[in-house]
Amino acid sequence: MVGRPGSGGIAFTLAQAGTDPAATALFAALGLPFLAALLVPLVHRALGERTAWFAALVALVSFGLVASQYGAQGAVTLPWIPTLGISLTLYLDGLSLLISLLASGVGVLIFTYSAGYMHDEPGKARYYATLLAFMGSMLGVALASDLIALFVFWELTSITSFGLVGHYRDSESAQSAARQALIVTVSGGLFMLVGFILLAYASEVAFGTPTFTLIGGPDSMIANADAMRTALRETGLFLPVLGLVALGAAAKSAQVPLHFWLPSAMEAPTPVSAFLHSATMVKAGVFLVGRTRPLLTGEEWMVLFASLGLLTMTVTAIRALGATDIKELLAYSTASHLGLITAGFGFTNQLGAETGAFHILNHALFKATLFLVAGIIAHEAGTRALDELGGLRHDLPLVGVITAIAALGMAGVPPFNGFYSKELLFEAAYETAHELGGLAWTFPVVAVVGSVFTFLYSIRFLWLFMGAKPDSLGEVHSPSYALVAPPAVLAGLAMVVGIDPQLAVDAIVQSAFASTVAGEAHSMSVYLPTYLSPAVAMSAVTIAAGIALSPFYDRLHDGVRWLSRGPATATWWYDGAVVGLEHASAVSLPRLQTGRFRTAAVWLLGSTVVLVLTGYAAAGVSLPAFTGLSITAPVVVILAVAVLAAAAIGIAPSHVAGVLTLSILGFMVALFFVLASAPDLALTQLVVETLVLVIFLLVLDKLPAFYGEASRSNVVRDAVLAAGVGLTVCLTVLVATAPSPDTIAGFFVETAPLPEGGGGGNIVNVILVDFRAFDTLGEISVVAMAAVSVITLIAMRGRGESS
Amino acid sequence: MSARDATVIARTVSRIVFPLILLTAFALLLQGHNRPGGGFIAGVLTAVAFALLMIIFGFDYIEDEILGRDMDDTRAAALTIVTDNSLVFALGLALAVGSGLVAMAFGLPFLTQTVVFLHDLPVYHELELASAFVFDLGVYLVVVGALLTVLTVVGAE
Repeated sequence: MVGRPGSGGIAFTLAQAGTDPAATALFAALGLPFLAALLVPLVHRALGERTAWFAALVALVSFGLVASQYGAQGAVTLPWIPTLGISLTLYLDGLSLLISLLASGVGVLIFTYSAGYMHDEPGKARYYATLLAFMGSMLGVALASDLIALFVFWELTSITSFGLVGHYRDSESAQSAARQALIVTVSGGLFMLVGFILLAYASEVAFGTPTFTLIGGPDSMIANADAMRTALRETGLFLPVLGLVALGAAAKSAQVPLHFWLPSAMEAPTPVSAFLHSATMVKAGVFLVGRTRPLLTGEEWMVLFASLGLLTMTVTAIRALGATDIKELLAYSTASHLGLITAGFGFTNQLGAETGAFHILNHALFKATLFLVAGIIAHEAGTRALDELGGLRHDLPLVGVITAIAALGMAGVPPFNGFYSKELLFEAAYETAHELGGLAWTFPVVAVVGSVFTFLYSIRFLWLFMGAKPDSLGEVHSPSYALVAPPAVLAGLAMVVGIDPQLAVDAIVQSAFASTVAGEAHSMSVYLPTYLSPAVAMSAVTIAAGIALSPFYDRLHDGVRWLSRGPATATWWYDGAVVGLEHASAVSLPRLQTGRFRTAAVWLLGSTVVLVLTGYAAAGVSLPAFTGLSITAPVVVILAVAVLAAAAIGIAPSHVAGVLTLSILGFMVALFFVLASAPDLALTQLVVETLVLVIFLLVLDKLPAFYGEASRSNVVRDAVLAAGVGLTVCLTVLVATAPSPDTIAGFFVETAPLPEGGGGGNIVNVILVDFRAFDTLGEISVVAMAAVSVITLIAMRGRGESS
Repeated sequence: MSARDATVIARTVSRIVFPLILLTAFALLLQGHNRPGGGFIAGVLTAVAFALLMIIFGFDYIEDEILGRDMDDTRAAALTIVTDNSLVFALGLALAVGSGLVAMAFGLPFLTQTVVFLHDLPVYHELELASAFVFDLGVYLVVVGALLTVLTVVGAE
């Protein structure tokens, strides 16, 4: 099932050896968290504090269900929107297995930890429900093979995380952080959606029928990656699709310059940060990069993702040096490591894919641990400020050991887990540079520079437990078991990976790596280096430079803080954009909405006219030819009167005269209907016209009787607008009523005596109540709704204010 | 819009015309399936009839004389009428949906209609009873209720 090391050149992968996964297990694993989220309010009422254990149990069951499919590979499908070729297809392979095991497995630990951490926090029912729904969404992202389903789950993670980041409702900064995260990740997701739709379009070019299935099955995009790439290039869509997908992934995975939301999102409760910002949500972005890698890989791919990843890795590692809060440090570090994963997937050689797949696992293990440790420190020491903390090993010895394992892994020190994947990155960067030469040598250099900073801040975090305890730091309590056990488990796993990396590779990383490679994946082997290779030399340089620079940490910290001000930070641009938009809308709104009906009508009608006419122009609509046109004398007379009436409205001296003249127009139209053999329509028109007249008179009773003097410019503006609206309506009627060859009228006339057996002599009515009764039902619902709105808007207007 | 503005002629004519409009509306509703008419237009016509009353006699008159309620405050009266009207269109909507559901009870698709002919009746000779009429009645009630709601709310302003 999994390639063994040294099994001789080409390994066999899951794709060949796997069996189909059980549909029930996958759908149950996906649906269970959502179902449980719905039940949380009831459970919380019954269990109170122990809701955490319920949620942990749900996560454990999901974990078990996914784990039971270990070794299986394939797609299971549930029809969703068959007419559009959209289905809820779940696809299990190494990569989705890795991500979904991380989401549910770390989920179990996070819920356990929450039992200890969220003791005195507000809104626990909301917290657990949202976190469960979030976990379900994340499983959906990992498992979805249909692009639309993937998008839906993707945005669901954004929405649920919005609730989680903004958990503290009273905190202004938490609310703004939640908004920021939502705006960045959701808008990134929308760009991604456009990319997906373009992909579906390209699939139509490639296969003849459009598909949204990304992977799984012989008709999927990845199974036909070459044809898809050719189609994308032929239609000139390759770069747009690559850019749009990258934008979605970069926004979600906090890549530069969209990284700023991640440190802000640290306003969330610490378990949320540990879950969302280390193991799950931000992993969605790099998961997407890995998932689309076999489809879009190529030269542009390498330039884009390797540069983006390495840049993010270095910039955010430097920013981490400027952090004053332990969670802020971890947040920047998370963005940095996501950069590492992105860069890994970016390199088109197989070493790059190895880096990405392995570091997803390693990063989740050490970063979730460190976040949980940060939570323990904040909980027990009462502060998260780096300056105020130190010497914690005296009070928290076990936590110190846990931290050492995780922080050294993060620093990339052998033999801890992060070392191996970073080593793979160095190899991948070196190989690429060696192959391409020239500018490509920047890649290994930047990778080393970024890693030096990574080493520095990792050691700084570990230093919280070393040195002397500051006097200002009060008593540090011992944490409860629920708080210590989860990070201990994670650190234990990280330790196992560190001691025997090949075990983790064989268990899961190999198959995850194979999923991100186009074509055959070689067998992956990871071990402690015993001879000097370029990558080992790079690691040695990194560690040596890190140790040499560490005495100057405080100066570097001050320098970074001094540099990261104003326009040098992405936050500054974000705030500027938000403030600018608010200002622009505050300035423009009084012009658009003066509170006068006249202004509103001008903008509404004007924009409608422009949009409709532009739409016609863009769609290349041509006017239908006039056929069967016969004009009789009565029609001419009636229409002439109507035109006269229309002209007279413009010069009517009072409201009442205007309304009456308008009615003349209406009644002429009714008469025209009579002549055009549409008695039903004529009758309706007559009655409605009467009613409109009545309503007008009711309202006019309260208005001043005469118009004011209109300025010449206003008259011209109104005339132009009126002409525009008239033209648009006229065009629309002509286009919409163009006789089509197979007119539907014949069908109605033939089938008209409906219900069968006779009756129903009035076709209009038969259409309304028989053929299209559902439409009519919809229409009367709209009428009823309009009446309800009138009641709420006008009749109830006074009540809210007076009471 | 209140009673004192209306002339004697207007009052007298509306008294005579009001039942005639209602009768016409009812006729249009009944014959809708075979000849010009139907629930929508009958509804609008009925609303017109009531609008006429409101314009000529005012709300108070309708409250006191037609509905037999004693209202001091015009605004409160208008709100009561609004509530009554919203009941009317809610009933209409329920009727329309209900007529569709009946078809489902017989295992047919939602909103399937049928017809029964009664023969050899006095006066009518042959009467067509279409199930679509129930649906049409629902449409009628919704239109009447909604339009009168709008009229009373706007009128009370």
